[in-house]
Formats: sequence, C-alpha cells, structure tokens
Amino acid sequence: MRDVDEREMLFRRLSAALGRHGSPGGTPSSPAGPTPPPGKESGRISRFAEALTAVGGVVLSGTPEEALPVLGEALRAEGVSALFFPQDDAGAREVAEALIPFGPFTLTTGEEVRGGNPASTAGFRTADAGIAETGTVVESSNRGGTLLPGLLSDVHVALLPSHSVVERMDEAFALYAEDPPRNISLISGPSKTADIEQTLTVGAHGPRKIIVLLV
Amino acid sequence: MQPTAHLFPRNAQKALADKTLQAALGRATGRFLHHRAEAVAAFPGFGEARERASEIKRQTLAQLDHHLGRFIEEASRRGAVVHVARDAAQAREIAARVAKEEGVTLAVKSKSMASEEISFNVALQEAGIEVVESDLGEYIIQLAGEAPSHIIAPAVHKTREEISRLFERKLGEPPTDSIPALVAMARRHLRAKFLGAGMGVSGANFLVADTGSVVLVTNEGNGRMGTVLPRVHLAVAGIEKVIPRMSDLPTFLRLLPRSASGQPLSSYVSVLTGTRREGDAEGPEKMHILLLDCGRSAILEGKYREVLKCIRCGACLNSCPVYQSVGGHAYGWVYSGPIGAVLTPLLVGLPEAAPLPDASTLCGACGEVCPVKIPLPDFLLELRADMRSQGLKTPGEIAGMKGYAGVMKRAGLLEALERVAGLLAQFFTKGKPVEGLPYPFSGWTERRDFPAAAAQPFRKLWKTRRGVQG
Amino acid sequence: MDPRRSIPVSLFFTCLADAFYPRTAFAAVEVLERFGATVRVPLSQTCCGQPAFNSGNRKEARAMARKFLLSFPGDGYIVSPSGSCAAMVKHGYPVLFRDEPRTLALAHAVGERVYELSQFLVEVLGVTDPKSDFSGKVTYHDSCHLRRGLGVVEAPRTLLRAIRGVEFVEMEESDRCCGFGGVFSLKYPQISCRMTEHKVERIVATGASWVTSGDLGCLMNIDGMISRVGYPVKAIHLAEILAGGPAEPAPGTAGKGTP
Repeated sequence: MRDVDEREMLFRRLSAALGRHGSPGGTPSSPAGPTPPPGKESGRISRFAEALTAVGGVVLSGTPEEALPVLGEALRAEGVSALFFPQDDAGAREVAEALIPFGPFTLTTGEEVRGGNPASTAGFRTADAGIAETGTVVESSNRGGTLLPGLLSDVHVALLPSHSVVERMDEAFALYAEDPPRNISLISGPSKTADIEQTLTVGAHGPRKIIVLLV
Repeated sequence: MQPTAHLFPRNAQKALADKTLQAALGRATGRFLHHRAEAVAAFPGFGEARERASEIKRQTLAQLDHHLGRFIEEASRRGAVVHVARDAAQAREIAARVAKEEGVTLAVKSKSMASEEISFNVALQEAGIEVVESDLGEYIIQLAGEAPSHIIAPAVHKTREEISRLFERKLGEPPTDSIPALVAMARRHLRAKFLGAGMGVSGANFLVADTGSVVLVTNEGNGRMGTVLPRVHLAVAGIEKVIPRMSDLPTFLRLLPRSASGQPLSSYVSVLTGTRREGDAEGPEKMHILLLDCGRSAILEGKYREVLKCIRCGACLNSCPVYQSVGGHAYGWVYSGPIGAVLTPLLVGLPEAAPLPDASTLCGACGEVCPVKIPLPDFLLELRADMRSQGLKTPGEIAGMKGYAGVMKRAGLLEALERVAGLLAQFFTKGKPVEGLPYPFSGWTERRDFPAAAAQPFRKLWKTRRGVQG
Repeated sequence: MDPRRSIPVSLFFTCLADAFYPRTAFAAVEVLERFGATVRVPLSQTCCGQPAFNSGNRKEARAMARKFLLSFPGDGYIVSPSGSCAAMVKHGYPVLFRDEPRTLALAHAVGERVYELSQFLVEVLGVTDPKSDFSGKVTYHDSCHLRRGLGVVEAPRTLLRAIRGVEFVEMEESDRCCGFGGVFSLKYPQISCRMTEHKVERIVATGASWVTSGDLGCLMNIDGMISRVGYPVKAIHLAEILAGGPAEPAPGTAGKGTP
C-alpha cells in the first residue's frame, strides 16, 4: 500500500518539522471559538432580505395570492418555460403547480434537465435554512435532498420557511456539525463571473437569478 | 508547473511595455482594492475575525500533524480515499492512476492553485484523459494555451476582442463584442462537459479536520457542478489547508470573500463531506482527496512557517504596487505578487527564484491587507538575508556593501567623502540635478534626475554654525 | 507642552539630509527649538544601516547599527526628519540583534526614544498650531515606513492643516508607494519608475504647487521625475514647510520647468 507508506512518511516529516519525537502530539489546544452575539429575533427576516437583495437576489413574501403573480411575472421576464422540483418536496411542488396559470410554463424533472433538456428552467426547492448575516440560502443533501434545482436551473426559486432563518453562519453550520451530509451548499446570490474585463455578468454556470419565497 | 522565476527581470520589462496588460492591471487591481476597502469598512467585525483567523491558523500549524491526522481519519470514515504526495511528480502519478482506475476519459476541473503547482492537467492529458478547466477565466486561459496571471482573476490580462477571436477559433462561435454573449457561449460548452464528465476535480479552500470536509468557495458555481454531477470527485489540496473545526469556518468565510473581491460572501460555498450517502439523490460515488506536501513540511520547520497560513485570497497581489505594475506572469510560477515572492523561493528554491524577494519596495501594503496576518514584508527581508548567506548575491553587491559599511564606520571619513562629492557636484553640474550616472545608478537616471550633493554636508555646516556638540 | 521646561532632543539627521539636503536638517532644528526643545546633534552618527539591512546584508547592517546605538547615549528623545530611518531603528534593529541579548536590550531602549519629527511634535509636544507661515497649495504623500511602519497618519496632516497660508489638498492613493524602495530603485529601475510615474500623476492631478512628505527618500525620488519631466510642482520636506519654507526652491531641487 504505497499510499499508506507515503502517509506515514508525511507524518514523520511533520513530526520532525514540529520538533516532536515519537508519535504525533496529544490533544491540541483550542483556539478561541466563535462567540456570536445573540441575534435579535425581530428584524432577522428583514436583515436576511436586505443582505440577499444587496447581492442581486429577490425576496418575496406575503400570501400566495400576492406572491404567485409576482413570481410568475418574474419567471416570464427571465424567459423561463419549464419548471422542476424535487419529487418529494411537497411545498415546492405546490408552488410550481400553482404557477402554471401564470405561465406558459410546462413541468419537467431534475433528471430531464440533467439529461440535457434545453428549455430555460426554474428550479424549485425548499431550503434547509437562511442566514441573515449574509443573505444566504442553505440547501443540502440532508435526508436525500437534491441540489439540482439550485444547480442546473436558469432561475432558482428557494422556498424558505421564516422560522428557519438564523442570524449567523455559525448557527447554520451547527445544524450539520453532528453528522454532515455529503453536500452543504450556501447560496448567496446568482451565479456570476467578472472574468472578462472585470465586467460582472450573471449566469456563469448556475442560475442567473435567485428568488427566495418566504413561507 | 516549470518555474521561470529567474527570468523575472526580463519578463517584468516585457509586462511594462505591454499596453493592454497595463490597462487591464490598472482596472482590475483598482477595482479589487476599492471593493475590498468598502467591504472591510462595512463590516465592523473584520479586525476581530482577522485576529482569530490568524490565531487559529497559527495554532493549527503548530499541531499540523494532529489536525491533518484527524482530517484524514474523518474523511476516510465517510468514504473518501485520501492520498498523500511528497512532490509534484508523485502527485501527478497518483492523479493519473486514480483517473485511470476510475475509468475516467473526461474530467472537469474548478480552479485550484495547488493543481497548478503539480501540473495536474499535463499528468492527466499524458494519461489520455481530457481535462477541461471550468472556471471561466481558467477556461479562457486553457483555450489560449497560457498560464493564469492572478489568483482569483486568471484572465485579467485578456480583452473581450481577444476572447471572442479565441472562441471563434476554438469553439466555432460567431464573433461578438458582448460580454454576456461570451459568458453564455462558455456556459453552453461547459455545461455539456459537466454533464458528460466522469470526474470532477476541485481544489480546496479549506479542509475541515473534525468532519473531514472539503470546502469550496466560488462565484460562478463551477465548483458545485463538478462536485455534484460527475461520478468521481477528486480534491487536490496542500496539507496546510486544514482548519480544526467546522465551527471555525464562519471566521474564515467572513474574511476570504471580503479580502478577495469585496463580497460579504461568495455566491456559493460548498461543504463536501465524503461520498454520496445511501438514499442521496445525487453526488459522487467515489471521493478521492490528494494531499500535497510538495515542500510544505520543510517550510513548516523553519522561520517561514506562518506563510502556510495563506488562504489564497489575492489581496496582497491587488495591494502590491509591483504586482500592479507587472502583473502575475512575470513572477514565473503559480503564485505571484508578495505571496509569490515569498512562497515561490520556499517551494521551488531560492536559486531559481532569486529575483523575487528583491521585487518589492517593502512598502508594507501586503502585510496590512493580509487577512491572516502573514508578515510578508518581514519574510521578504529574511529571504534577502538568506540570499546573502546562501551565496546568491553578486560579488559586486557584496563589495559595494562592504565599502559602504567601511565608510560609515568613521564619521570623519564620511564627511571627507561628502565634501568631495559636493565639490564634484559644483564642478560638473553647478549644483543642478544630475541627469546621468554610471552603473549601478544608471537605472535611476534613465527617467529621473538625481540630486546634486550639497556643496557642504550638514555635519560640516552645523559645526561651522553651532560648533561641535555631542 | 510646558514652555518653561526644556526638552532635550538629539537630532538623527539621516544620510540624505546630510549629503543632499542640509536645509531639511536645519529646518527640523528650527522647528524643534521653536517648541522648546534643546537640540543636540551627535556628529559621530553616520548611517543607520537601512540600505544594508533591506538588501539582506545583515553583517554590514549590524556594524552600522552598533555604531548608531553608541552615537546616541543617554535617555533623551531622538528625533528624525525621516519615518523610514526612525522605523529602521525601532523595528529593524530588534531583528538584527535578535541573537544578541545585550545589544538587543540596548536596541529596544534606543528604539523607544526614537520619533519621527511630525509624530514628535504632535504626539509628544502636543503641537496643534505649528506657528508657521507658508504660502501655497500643498499635497501630502504618505511615506510607507512612516505610515505603515510607525503608524503615523494624522500628525503630518494635523500640522499641515494648521499652517497659515497652506491650502492642504489630499491626493488620491496618498498611501501608495512612490516606487523608491532604496536599493529596489536601482535593482528594478523600470518598475520603480512605473510606480513613480503613477505617484507623480496623482500629485499633478491635485493641482498643488508643492508635494510634501516625511521622508527625503520618497521626495528625492518624486522630485527626480518631476525635475526630469518638468512638472509645475515642487517637492519639499514637511520640516521645511514648518520652518517657513524656501521662498524660492534651493538649487539642486528645483523642477527645471517650474514657473
């Protein structure tokens, strides 16, 4: 096992470099851990909305009657023609299906999009959490959740339960610290690049727009 | 990557003469600096986060064996296969072997400085595997057959016209002067690659010891695509990237994007832990992590240990007036700017990189912006002293220094020489500025005047006016 | 400041003032005496060794540093019209002598006595009105070692703003290096000039007739390009402005094309 030998040699080099003799050191001392000040409950949602809006995201709230026409209009404006959502995400399904009258929108699936469906899509999914500090939507593969709606779509619509908005990043990571899923994805704005002449352009690889629907 | 750092003086001159590059550099570094300054000003906790991050990194390095051991253990426990390479050749061999054993024919790669160090792409291409860079800037650079010129903006030196011609030639796209159209073309071509690739290759912004996670920070979202869609994920990272706990991540995430591009947080942060789990909708079946020593354990041992705190934000490049003047290619290897001037000599050897430690005015701007408080100016000074002790200084410089120190031993001798200089100045230029001086001062007078020596030095004038004291 | 008490100050006049700009050193003395300092000028001082230290020639730097430490005995203030030379003594010497505990202790003790001129006037003597007269529009270049080495940002500005007849105007990127860098300017003259060019463009854009700074190294460099190109602006050390300045620029520093 070449790799194991090489690993052992690395640790010997590290021990020597650190002036240790014998096996690698005991318990490491812990640097000061983060001490987030308690966030004020009131205003957390508006801080979240403000931060996400500042980086080009859109935050919608209100009753379905109020939000759906606005959302439908926004998707049409982006040229979206097909909607997809995780099959086991009842909330996302409900919103997507309710949007059809505001279309013309057809329904597709993540697998079809992955298979190369060229339609301009909106991907729907219920987020795990929101972070007010940075206007971040947190999605993960926790409990088998799919990331495709926020990955392959042209417009990503994240459904965010208001009670799952936390103040700081620390609290969001703490949700997964025990047993992190394969993929924790923090989304803070549209996919963008400034690689050509330092000109900011959205939709580099992922969605060119992110819309958060507070539920 | 084969270093050409010894050619810095020549390459810097070429860069100074390149008008397109000069314009792009001015725009880019100015923009980054401005955004960084605004972001730091808007975030009152920046200073505190900087102190904490620096301390976490310092303590982690002091026990790197422990934290790295923990990382390997946790990542392995969650299904990742961890490889260790002592040098670039070995890393290339491992990368090619992994790709071949996994049956990969096409790999998509997101930006990774570590992979540049080992010439990752060459290794896979030699094994018959296609590697596509998926970061837009890197993709452009790859199509053009060049090397990146900035840690976070690799194609900073290319204009849209050049890129359009490149896409026309290499991708068969129609010409355009629209940047969004160019981005859309790249997106289309790369999307097909993402969907067809057998392996996604990433670097790692951080390795989290207590969970075995690989953390990627991107704006384009390519890092996510390549680590969700392909069947295999290979992460290539230096051993110094490890941080102890997932709870340390927020501290670093508050610093990295602000320092790099002035964003509160980049659009995407992916925390990737092990392989896909039972019942997961997607994600790689296999995860390989290739850890690079490549000179790092040697750095850990010596006085430059703290350079391993670097989180590759690029702030020192943007703030450096030398980098602003010559750009990244002149530095002749993977890392440029102040971090390159320190890291390159340490990783490829001081003889090869001898011109780099001198390529700084010691203005201190880099040290001031570094989010993990690496004493870059101090390290540049140390490297210059190492040059002397390793016999890398020219005999001319050493003789000059000895002569100068000899004069300074005696104030009387100094005064006598100053008076001779004063007489010469009166004789040759009548006390007017000097327009031409011989080597080694000729470079100064090429575009600048040099002041004439005072007819009488201050120490003489003072004695005349006030008498001798002290 | 207590006007009844005399404050002993040793002038660390620097090589550049000695050999090229004696009037800067005299101006520093004049201003220090104006605010009650008794100025001593130790004539055994030569070079602090910074060029040797900055180029990695530590053996030679140490020899010069030793001589410097012996040239400033006692416990009075040591004041220099140079942020860079002051920073060398304060921060460079402890590096040079890190393996020599006795000299290191002396270096720390001497370093604690060292101040740059504007810093000394404002932070130690508490000067708010420099009681100077000067006429003209002035812009200020932050010397890197004064600003980032000693952390002196406001003192020179405080003084400039308080001078009767001075119209103070900030340039853009006042804290960006002028490209001097000592030995750097000889090793990489083209890069150095590119940086100087950038600096001079910023200076000229202010429309100021004078550019001042706390370091003669920067000023020599900036003035070198101003003089060669013939820009209508003159370089002058802050000490000279505080002392009332030359009505006419002294020979050897005037821009050739200046009106």
